[in-house]
Amino acid sequence: MKWPLALLGLYGLLLTPAVASGAQPIAPAAASGPATGLADSAALRATVYGTPPQDIAPMPETVPLEEIDIALPWAKPVPEVFWFDRRLRVWFSAQNKPAPLAIVISGAGSDGNTSMLSTLRGALYGAGYHVLTMPSPTFPRFIVSASSTGVAGDLLQDSRDLYAAMRQIIAHFPHRVQITDIDVLGYSLGGANAAAVKSIDSVEGKLKIHRAVMINPPVSLFASIGRLDKLFAISIGSGDVGVERLYEKLYARIANVYRTSDQIGIGDSDLLAAATTVLKTDADFSATIALSFRISLVNVFFAGDLYAGTGVVVDPKHPPRVGDSLENIARVLRGKPFSEYFAKVFAPYYLAHRPNSTPESLMADNRLEIIGDALRDNSDYYAQANSDDPILTQPELAWLQSTLGNRIAVYDHGGHLGNLGDRRQISDMLDMLAGRWTPGP
Amino acid sequence: MRAVFLAAVAALALGGCTSQNLTIRRLPPETPAADNASAVKHAAELSAAATEASERARSRDASQAVTPLTAADAPSMYSYDPWERLNRYTYRFNAQFDEDIFLPVANEYRRLPSPIRSGVHNFFDNLSEPKSIVNFALQLRPVFGLHSLARFVINSTLGIGGLIDVAARLKLKSYFTGFSATLSKWGMHPGPYLVIPLLGPSTLRDGVGLLGDFGASYAINVADLYRGNKTWALGTLDAVDLRANTDFRYYASGSPFEYETIRFLYVHRELIEDEALHAKAPPKARDPGTPAGR
Repeated sequence: MKWPLALLGLYGLLLTPAVASGAQPIAPAAASGPATGLADSAALRATVYGTPPQDIAPMPETVPLEEIDIALPWAKPVPEVFWFDRRLRVWFSAQNKPAPLAIVISGAGSDGNTSMLSTLRGALYGAGYHVLTMPSPTFPRFIVSASSTGVAGDLLQDSRDLYAAMRQIIAHFPHRVQITDIDVLGYSLGGANAAAVKSIDSVEGKLKIHRAVMINPPVSLFASIGRLDKLFAISIGSGDVGVERLYEKLYARIANVYRTSDQIGIGDSDLLAAATTVLKTDADFSATIALSFRISLVNVFFAGDLYAGTGVVVDPKHPPRVGDSLENIARVLRGKPFSEYFAKVFAPYYLAHRPNSTPESLMADNRLEIIGDALRDNSDYYAQANSDDPILTQPELAWLQSTLGNRIAVYDHGGHLGNLGDRRQISDMLDMLAGRWTPGP
Repeated sequence: MRAVFLAAVAALALGGCTSQNLTIRRLPPETPAADNASAVKHAAELSAAATEASERARSRDASQAVTPLTAADAPSMYSYDPWERLNRYTYRFNAQFDEDIFLPVANEYRRLPSPIRSGVHNFFDNLSEPKSIVNFALQLRPVFGLHSLARFVINSTLGIGGLIDVAARLKLKSYFTGFSATLSKWGMHPGPYLVIPLLGPSTLRDGVGLLGDFGASYAINVADLYRGNKTWALGTLDAVDLRANTDFRYYASGSPFEYETIRFLYVHRELIEDEALHAKAPPKARDPGTPAGR
């Protein structure tokens, strides 16, 4: 390591949702049978480690990639502190022949080029699709460049913004790109967005989206987030003090790894390996999951408070500027659960902008039930779920199964997204997109 | 070269003023099959390394044992950054420079055949061995110094001026160190966080270390490469090689808190490296109220 910039590679590694994909030190403890309750050990480990590389589905040798930055006409004025998020950024891989287009939407708080999207892109491109990958509407850059509200988290409103952005992007594709059909899919919150986008399109008919596949979607977004906040409270404690305690513990453990080895300097992948070896107990894994979600929420909370002018952490009259420290704001927001975002930013904004709404109706609007009829009656919606997914309860999973009938694949293990990219998940997903999937024996 | 550099900075300044509705950038193609194959290999290596490390820990005799740190020994989560306002503007400048000039150049460079790129990479790694040798000597770690010296001699000769890392094939792993680590060994703290124009995040000690390392390389002047105009050409190529091998994109996080996150990672990684350098000494007493690095 001879130059500071090289160290920055760390950042990408640490913020990758599967914190350590590929860095699994020793096989995680296996649990028998489907799990119940908040989450069992195997589910937590699968959620953190992601799919082991040896289980990943066959991938093509090369996938061409273009990065598209687009300014959207309905975007709100960009606050100075978000100067870098002016244009929406999406990624596109084009076949050199007429082909169907698969649009893939990222999970909560994530960009349109995560390692999970890269895996899905490889599989879809290999199966003959043009592939467009998009950020979640809860990703800061989307909020700034493509949201019509600036207050993220409403399933239908966010999906309308996504749908509008998709139309703009597709209209600007180079002429050489010939599209024969359009399908949408997404993982986690992106799965719910994908289904909502298809239901919006079935009314507006501008894109004529054919099929939608939801990978590990939440059924009730707010209830799932509530469970992640509970996980945070149990495994980390309340407020930023808990985060500091977690940091101190992990710092000492990582430092000890290096103090007892004869290693010189810390390479990116070495530190990553050290970081995974120091996660030991269920509480450690829970804390990792809860913290990675909380970091996404900090961004959503900050942007929402700034745009809605609700003044929780940002003074609406004196918004922060480029040279101003945001450390104190980050510190305060790390201690705040989603319920506070809902009560102080989200609900005040939407109650003012949506006539006849109540806090209860806002919550109900964010359940997948609002497109339940479409999911039940239209045979072009599919889902993949894991029975040990920590963001789903058993009744929620049962609702998905009864609603989708024989259009849902439920796997015993994987936690949340811990089997994304494995051979079975990918082959089922491709069959679903082609309309030829049937439940196995 | 200086003229080219100034023109590039001017282009950056002007480029920053334009805004387009749509930009399509062709990126180097992804190679998922090869990436996954190397991830499988890497996972196997990691698990072998973990097994080896735990065996080594078990066989280590009690007299060599280092006092393990506890959570109470951890430095503050918050970093010492008295020059924050200036640093933040420099960070913004660096992000814009990277987006408009540095990264596009590195992406074009990545289209060159991989044997050429790895030759260039090995060449610069080899060129940095002399300053490692000097610093290992200053840190009184002769074993590592001899190791680097052996690598330098083998790679400069058998490896055709460093283009091929023959030493690695002879199981001589590379260990790099620099003047910043020497300063740490001598008891200097990282000091204030410092964002260096064009180069990126650093601390005062790392900044001084960079100058010291350049001074050492300049004084040693391997093959007369550090004199005249070729210094600029080589320096630029070195920078492009490093950028092309660094998987980082400014503001890929989309987050307004990116500055804080990078600062945290940079400073605390340096502190962890310091802990390893001083492993034989008992843990330092820390005042929890003092920001990390001070």
